Amino acid sequence: MEQRNVDRRSFLNNLGVTVGAAAAATAIPAMKPASAQTPAAPKGKIPDAPLRLGHMTFLTGPAAVLGEPSLKGHLLAAEEINAQGGILGKRKIETITADEAAGTDANVKELRRMKLSEKIDLFTGVISSGNTPALGPVAEELGALTIFVDGCTDFLWDKAVPNPKFAFRITNIQSADGVTCALAAAQTWPQVKRIAHIHPDYSYGRNAFDHFNIAFSKLVPGTEVVSEGWPKLGTTDFTAHITKAMSSNPDLIVSSVWGGDYVAMYKQALRYGMFNSAKFASTIAFGVAPHAIGKDHPEGVIAGVHANYYFTFPPGNRWPANQRFVEKYYKRWNEYPNFQSDGAYHTLYMYKTAVEKANKLTGGWPEEEAIINQLEGMYFETAAGDLYIRPDNHQGYKDAVTGFSKNVAEYPFQILDPARMITIPIRNITAPPRWPKPGSGHNDPTATYNWIKETWPQVA
Amino acid sequence: MTIFVIQILNSFFYAAVLFLIAAGLSLIYGVMRIVNLAHGALYALGAYVSAWIVGSAVGHALEGTLGLAGMLLLLPLGAIAIAAVGALIEPTLLRPLYQRSEEYHLLVTFGLLLILEDVMKLVFGRTPLSAGTIMDRMGSIPVGRLMYPTYNLFVVAVGIAAAIGLWAFIYRTKFGVILRATSQDRRMAAALGINVSRVYVQAFAIGCFMAGLGGAVVVPAQAAVLGLGIEVLILAFVVVVIGGLGSLQGALVGAVIVSFVRTAGIQFFPEIELAVLYLIAAAVLLVRPTGLFGRA
Repeated sequence: MEQRNVDRRSFLNNLGVTVGAAAAATAIPAMKPASAQTPAAPKGKIPDAPLRLGHMTFLTGPAAVLGEPSLKGHLLAAEEINAQGGILGKRKIETITADEAAGTDANVKELRRMKLSEKIDLFTGVISSGNTPALGPVAEELGALTIFVDGCTDFLWDKAVPNPKFAFRITNIQSADGVTCALAAAQTWPQVKRIAHIHPDYSYGRNAFDHFNIAFSKLVPGTEVVSEGWPKLGTTDFTAHITKAMSSNPDLIVSSVWGGDYVAMYKQALRYGMFNSAKFASTIAFGVAPHAIGKDHPEGVIAGVHANYYFTFPPGNRWPANQRFVEKYYKRWNEYPNFQSDGAYHTLYMYKTAVEKANKLTGGWPEEEAIINQLEGMYFETAAGDLYIRPDNHQGYKDAVTGFSKNVAEYPFQILDPARMITIPIRNITAPPRWPKPGSGHNDPTATYNWIKETWPQVA
Repeated sequence: MTIFVIQILNSFFYAAVLFLIAAGLSLIYGVMRIVNLAHGALYALGAYVSAWIVGSAVGHALEGTLGLAGMLLLLPLGAIAIAAVGALIEPTLLRPLYQRSEEYHLLVTFGLLLILEDVMKLVFGRTPLSAGTIMDRMGSIPVGRLMYPTYNLFVVAVGIAAAIGLWAFIYRTKFGVILRATSQDRRMAAALGINVSRVYVQAFAIGCFMAGLGGAVVVPAQAAVLGLGIEVLILAFVVVVIGGLGSLQGALVGAVIVSFVRTAGIQFFPEIELAVLYLIAAAVLLVRPTGLFGRA
């Protein structure tokens, strides 16, 4: 049913795009989310053998500035749980770490090793979208309970593991990232016509490019991609990409360059005057550890956080779970968390909650099957808001956020302005359960891409 | 038109950096027949040390006393530090392996690369370090309706000066004669009374100095990030494959070719930016297996 002559403002209102510090109305029905509280005494006899967890993330290379916070979030949660005696009061957490920078093949071998020889009870972490589609099928084959923190490509559930049993993922699905960035840009700068793109040349960059374009073209008619740059992941010289983008006279430059690469890129872009010549929107600029972004970063640009989480939002005590998390994290690590920290930290608490719920039903240490049953459909409180694990694809969904960069006196680095955060109910920007996947009825990049193409009205 | 002027300047900038790295790589191979896989890591270390020195100077309000010229003079300290590291590495790690086959050289230098990467992470942390103050002070010059950072021109000048300096050093000094003699026939050089061990340490240190200088001059323009040396090492190998391993002219010509082809790729064929470079390298290898200036 095609709607005609929709204007942009009312369509954005329909999508529930909210600007400002107001906590957005959630798309999920009002029910009390499970939260990480100390439970009643466990039922039955619990073994006191330690729990063995594998955490894989980037510990070296330019992605480490994004990956290290993941491990820190994980370790913080593990220390807190262990200080309370472990999960179900008995089983303390022992973490084995692995460096994701070893490469996809080595990472697959490491997962096998962790499961078969280290006998891990849970595999977590993983950042790169190049790795989860390789690790997911192996986790399924090994029967290794897995909660990916990131590596959020749609491809994992669309193609690689269409019917997951053992694999879950906690951060928002990747298509939401490009769409969120597009909605924020369309709302902020609807006069934009000419768009230049700079994206890393692998699955994440392609995904951001595709979903930004499909959503933006629905909202702003008559736009044109005037320049494309596809720097290799790990590049630090962006001068030619910047020059090319600027020379195409764009109104808006869109980028999904991330981690240390992004830090190198924005410093070069400053000296070329790129931020003065066009508006700038990024899906993931502020996804790195917050202190990696200097005060020299341009203010007022859309500096995304992978549509997941930024530590200044919701501000103050408006969402106590965030305030608690940020305080604990800062106290332990003397720095502020990023979205990976939030994901890794709450992965452990979500697992703990699932085990406790399963224990109430079955007594003793629950079977893996019972833990999986609890994780499916779980509704869980995190620092970033309420998280919902959709049973059909084991994907975590929470309201998407992005925001605008700003310098404030309280922090020695640039932050996202908590008064101007944009929040979007996730249900309105992602394909619903059972929407046809690529290869069944359409050949679009993702189910969400097809869903936007087919169901969103074209703004006139 | 403006865009071509700037893209040409961008290419010369990148060529200058690539030349500094590739020249060191080539020099070390030319004299010692060692393919130094740790060369990129030494470049990254140079970037980190320089960023750290400049950052500390700025932090301690030395900035005002130093002025721009003073800050620029701080940069080579990073290169000197890397030369010192090189002078330490050669006698301890490499010297025992000269009699062995090349696989051992690759293993040791690759191990060194991994160790250096971890050392940088341990010492400097995972957060990128910046020496951007220098670049900001030099400002930008308008080119048409666009801008070009003045500092990048300084880097091009350093690259040219290094090329001339290195050439004069190798072809116009007594040490250069000794270096070339040792490179051509180690035994004969030793028989003529040349202290080959000392020449090796000096050659390796000079090669490392070049890598460190590359890192030092690039860091104000970019940032010192982990893994900085990996991509550049690959490109430096493309440079020496095209130019010929062990040849100074080869490094210079190769760096210019790689840099211009890369920029052209980004500008005109963004989808195959990287593939274009390897295609050129493959073409050169087919026509001249030893590279444009290589000796068989």
